[in-house]
Amino acid sequence: MLSDEARERYSRHLLLPEIGVAGQEKIGAARVLVIGAGGLGAPASLYLAAAGIGTLGLIDHDHIDRSNLQRQVLFDTAAIGLGKADTARTRLLALNPGISVEAHSVELRAANALELIGPYDLVIDGSDRLATRYLVNDVCVLLRKPLVSAAIHRFEGQAMSYLPGRGPCYRCLFPKSEDGVVPNCAEAGVLGVLPGILGALQAAEALKIIVGIGTPLLGRLLTFDALAMSWHEFSFARRADCAVCGDHPSIKSPEDSVAAGLDNSSSAIGRLAPAQLQTFLQRAAIDGAAVTLVDVREPHEYAASHLQGAINVPLAQLPRRLADLPLHCNTVFICRSGGRSWAAAQLAASAGRGSLAHLEGGMLAWAAELDPAMVVAPLA
Amino acid sequence: MHVVRIPGPLRSYTHGAAQVRARGDTLDEVLAELERAYPGMRFRMIDEQQRIRPHIRIFINASETAALDAALGAGDEVHLICALSGG
Repeated sequence: MLSDEARERYSRHLLLPEIGVAGQEKIGAARVLVIGAGGLGAPASLYLAAAGIGTLGLIDHDHIDRSNLQRQVLFDTAAIGLGKADTARTRLLALNPGISVEAHSVELRAANALELIGPYDLVIDGSDRLATRYLVNDVCVLLRKPLVSAAIHRFEGQAMSYLPGRGPCYRCLFPKSEDGVVPNCAEAGVLGVLPGILGALQAAEALKIIVGIGTPLLGRLLTFDALAMSWHEFSFARRADCAVCGDHPSIKSPEDSVAAGLDNSSSAIGRLAPAQLQTFLQRAAIDGAAVTLVDVREPHEYAASHLQGAINVPLAQLPRRLADLPLHCNTVFICRSGGRSWAAAQLAASAGRGSLAHLEGGMLAWAAELDPAMVVAPLA
Repeated sequence: MHVVRIPGPLRSYTHGAAQVRARGDTLDEVLAELERAYPGMRFRMIDEQQRIRPHIRIFINASETAALDAALGAGDEVHLICALSGG
């Protein structure tokens, strides 16, 4: 039964014959999980809260950064430095005190995914890592949860829905990929309003699925190009050989995927021998993956010779410049012999910047093994 | 002549162009012409075994195709779609 207050709040929904009281009650009974309180999750969760979703869950282990505010409209300037999930909860409850908001300030991993996703009826994927996208997809297939997925890049967006037993999943569309193969917003930039459009679309799609109206994006990939201001729709089918929803699935429990070549756990520092780094860089160049090479030697050493594309941040300056560095999943620290780069990677890891590696043996090893003509400057 | 729509992550090859034109009676011929015009682009989509890479999908008009020898009719558009990760 809707209260008088609820009838007033949701009156514009109640006026729609497609929703009405019965539909609004379904919305009020629904439990929706939004993964990532970022560019997509912000508008999606705001609209879902406003619409009266009974229980809204939010997963995000990150803190609010000034650079988030250009598009993550859940947060204001005063919230910089605060946790995203808890701050979002406060904002959403201020918007609609009649709903429940569950903040999960944790990173979604294979180990906790079933437990986190299990209690919800529908999942919105607004994560910013492909590894998370595949994990979310796989768990939704395994638990038979509807999933509304969207992703963005610069001026482009994509959206699709998965409904258990009724159509293809995200893996049917893109069987496999790795972070680093495809640049994310932090690397490639993004038009701030773009996730607003796609995130609002996800909220609309979720409400339709919950109420049971309209035609979902089932087996349909919707793409948006803000520069051309054009939408396209593509049909795709379930793959019988899909690793998770196919006839003989190989994925029967959640799996963490390992990012392109580097250890993805924040506690481990990857060690790359010169030949491994060379192969990694060649592969990244072919795949268009973003790699950050940070040369932590002194400026005169860097000036004498350095790897193409490496930026110079002397180790002594690293602590105060860490926050400004584009440290994503593919960051490799480099020095003369491997000591300073190891310390730099540990420093970055202890500051919570995960997925780091260093060049074992440093530039001396690189020159000895791969580039004998290279002059490696002495320390002083 | 076919309109070929280029995904953002591959536009560095087309000097930023979101769509280009290419000739060909099959998808493979169109991709070959793209490679001639934009060297290196084909390998970003097609691997050494001549398979479409798993983070790339190719659609002719609105329908997906996995076959490089798929025939193209007059006016058919080729859409190259790349998995996006941003959120």
